[in-house]
Amino acid sequence: MTMPLIKTLAAATVLLCGCVTQHPQNAEDFRKAVPGAFMARVETFEVNRSVREIGATFRARAPECLNMRVTTTSQMPGSYQVIVSVYKPTVVVTDGRAELHLQRHHEKGVLAVTKEPDGGYYLLVADAFPVDAKRSRIEIFGPSKGYDVLTQAIMGWATGKNLGCPDLAKIG
Amino acid sequence: MICPRRIAGCLLGASLVAGCSGIKTYPDTLEKNLHITTEAASGSAFSRMRVALHIHQVDANCRTEYQGTVQLNEPSVQIGVPSDRLSYLVFSFSSATFLGGSGSSISYETLLWPRAGHAYDARASYADSIYHVEIRETDPRRSAGREIERRSLDDCRR
Repeated sequence: MTMPLIKTLAAATVLLCGCVTQHPQNAEDFRKAVPGAFMARVETFEVNRSVREIGATFRARAPECLNMRVTTTSQMPGSYQVIVSVYKPTVVVTDGRAELHLQRHHEKGVLAVTKEPDGGYYLLVADAFPVDAKRSRIEIFGPSKGYDVLTQAIMGWATGKNLGCPDLAKIG
Repeated sequence: MICPRRIAGCLLGASLVAGCSGIKTYPDTLEKNLHITTEAASGSAFSRMRVALHIHQVDANCRTEYQGTVQLNEPSVQIGVPSDRLSYLVFSFSSATFLGGSGSSISYETLLWPRAGHAYDARASYADSIYHVEIRETDPRRSAGREIERRSLDDCRR
């Protein structure tokens, strides 16, 4: 039996045993689920930019950097694994808040064992709220390990100091 | 005596190396109008990062034709891209581990219509798993340049 198959079966077994019975089906569910979830965290920081500016940067950078299909391959003696992941960003900007949602759907290489929302499972949600006219508070809901580059990129966009794109092949 | 099977194997290997990968060197024969600055670090002692620019010609029907690849191994490279016609530039950032086993690649694509008499500066960077490509156009008669907005191949069809 190959390693990817063993891993997939192991993950499926754990999930089917009841560790995860359902995944959040929208951004609000995801926000509520993250604080108490295993391997998940909420990060908070403040930046010297308005929510409107942050929203404009999210709108400019998210489609360009996160609307992607990523193929990763790994090869070990006796196995060769290909995973195709499709990422879908959504940006919502209102007067009082700027939101960035990121979903991921695995086209190949990973089984979906619970109901998947349209566009894929929620991977991360970032919210910007006004502190005052020129300052904002950012809250990022997401995984606690393996996704730092995503958080770094969103922090760069929120501060306006680094508009680079995260290498989505390096996460997870 | 050399085994015929070994000769056949060598010939097959040579033909693969010679061009079956599909990558060819960009025939850089035009006047240099694109200056590319590259900074890339894999961030790990066990892997290396390669940056390359794949250049495609785009016809009136938005069909692309691969012209060749420039390996961006040097910090600064100058090439010529056809003026007054559309090109499709694909910057690829590829990492591979020295021990083999895994690799990944991510790319930044954009359409570019270089104007005759103008100079273009592209800056491609990769650090800490964050990449950035920026292209600026400069008119030699004016001091200030302008950033070229990224345009996807779909924009060509609109």
